[in-house]
Amino acid sequence: MLILRDLTKTYRTRAGEVKALDGVSLRIDKGEFVAVCGPSGSGKTTLLMMVAAMLRPSRGTVRFNGRDIYEMTGPARAKFRAKNIGFVFQMFHLVPYLNVVENVLLAAGAVHGRDGKTRAEELLQRLGLQHRIGHRPSELSAGEKQRTAIARALLNQPKLILADEPTGNLDLENARCVLEHLQSFQRDGGTVIVATHGPAAKEFATRTIDLQDGQLA
Amino acid sequence: MPIIRMIFKEVWHRKVNFLLAVLAVTTAVAFLVAFFTASKASERETARLMLSMGYNLHVIAKDADIGGFLMIGIPDKTMPEAYLTKLASQNSISYNHLLATLEGKTKWRGMDVVLTGLAPEVCPPGQQKQAMTFSVEPGTAYVGHRIAQEFQVQKGDTIDVNGKKLKVERCLAESGGLDDMRIQCRLQDAQEILGLPGQITAIKAVDCLCFEKGDPVAALRKEIGSILPEAQVFQVKSLANARAKQRQMIRNIFAVMLPFVIIACGVWIGVLAVMNVRDRRPEIGLLRALGYDTGKVMLLFLGKAMLVGLFGAAAGFLLGTELGLQFGPGVFEITAKTMLRPELSLFVRASILAPLFAMVASFIPTVIAITYDPATTLREE
Repeated sequence: MLILRDLTKTYRTRAGEVKALDGVSLRIDKGEFVAVCGPSGSGKTTLLMMVAAMLRPSRGTVRFNGRDIYEMTGPARAKFRAKNIGFVFQMFHLVPYLNVVENVLLAAGAVHGRDGKTRAEELLQRLGLQHRIGHRPSELSAGEKQRTAIARALLNQPKLILADEPTGNLDLENARCVLEHLQSFQRDGGTVIVATHGPAAKEFATRTIDLQDGQLA
Repeated sequence: MPIIRMIFKEVWHRKVNFLLAVLAVTTAVAFLVAFFTASKASERETARLMLSMGYNLHVIAKDADIGGFLMIGIPDKTMPEAYLTKLASQNSISYNHLLATLEGKTKWRGMDVVLTGLAPEVCPPGQQKQAMTFSVEPGTAYVGHRIAQEFQVQKGDTIDVNGKKLKVERCLAESGGLDDMRIQCRLQDAQEILGLPGQITAIKAVDCLCFEKGDPVAALRKEIGSILPEAQVFQVKSLANARAKQRQMIRNIFAVMLPFVIIACGVWIGVLAVMNVRDRRPEIGLLRALGYDTGKVMLLFLGKAMLVGLFGAAAGFLLGTELGLQFGPGVFEITAKTMLRPELSLFVRASILAPLFAMVASFIPTVIAITYDPATTLREE
């Protein structure tokens, strides 16, 4: 499903060139739950952003179902993301002026002709947020915010979910809950890649990859 | 979620930012509306003042004695009344407020008076304007101050002028000039009294002073000469110059102040838009990550700018008009009550131009928003 070949990302800073990712090659199959582990600055987020078609590699390729995603035009990559990838972030990234269901529906806005209201409500019910549908993010607990973000990620029925430190701001109970929902998605046939520096995700992962200074350890 | 709904929700969420931006547009629009409302009133007031001094354009018969006309102001020859219709039926001309008059000296109760017949004022096609002078009804007369005083004539009296009975509609205030010795009546009544049916001595008009370069009199003579070759044209220069100066002064003030106001308000909106974009970096990053293309993100910001413009246009029009109406009477003492009024055409223009202005002012911040790298933005948070 996903083949990364010689993936390298170099940033130019005032102090000189910094290699965030250095020659990473990897294959991830459909239905895997992959935990990408490593300390801060090891290149986990950079790897996720490249897989998400949001960060062009300095060298190397990212193939999704056989197609090099960086050979697509910008608008085509945006459509590709909307259809195939769901995101979950550490900081939740919920829009403050929209309520829970509207935040979930935000994902439908990028895909033309889809009315996901019913699906959004079903997802929120499944995630135990049916009583929070009309609430703003500021009125939610951290766990509820992350579950809203998971509902948003699932709305377009993506093939792949990319989660960047999804449990970083949660207590143990909520962290488990979030990982269980991601595992449930994987068991239904989806693919999950979680970037984490904590141990919790390893328990749910079918495979663990360790990154160290931008390279596979 | 429709973009328009997102715009309204965001506006409600960040009310202060929105209100400050609306205030900027309101200031610019109010300034322009107050200025244009006052300018319009100024133009009308000038026109009205000019009337009290006399029309500044005189068309008289070609064979009239110019020396005599310049000395006493009454042409000694007449011309057909049909000339008025000919002048009034022209399109794209630079004069207006056409008034046909028949003037002649006559004896009334042993006193030399000037009998003046006035036709209702007419305007050329597409230039219909409020009449600058009073309209004398048939069978009535306006009596000059000196005559009224000498013969104790009062409003409501009936006077006999060479066998024609006229009811005195009004006795005019003292002017200190020839008007004190006039009896003014309807043109047809004057023609009957003077025995000159279908004749007039002059067509008076107000020219627009559109000819800013070259000799305006020569240009007017050429224009009117091509329509009425049987007539000659005089322009009362002092009045014309006064009017031209006033218009020029208004234009100069406007030309100096307008760029400052526009630039200041544009920068104001631009700065607020930049702040708004900075506040919304995570949101922009998220939308890009979710697959929203640059067009939709642009629409989110330019749509908001359009809303700012529309609200600013409405508020600015109301404020500008109110300012004009409040302070105008102090400036336009003579005609304030009738000349100052809301200019609805300005509202239409403001409703179109203010949103465009706000969108232009927000354009650079919007471009900044769409060029944010979502990967960087999402990683920063």
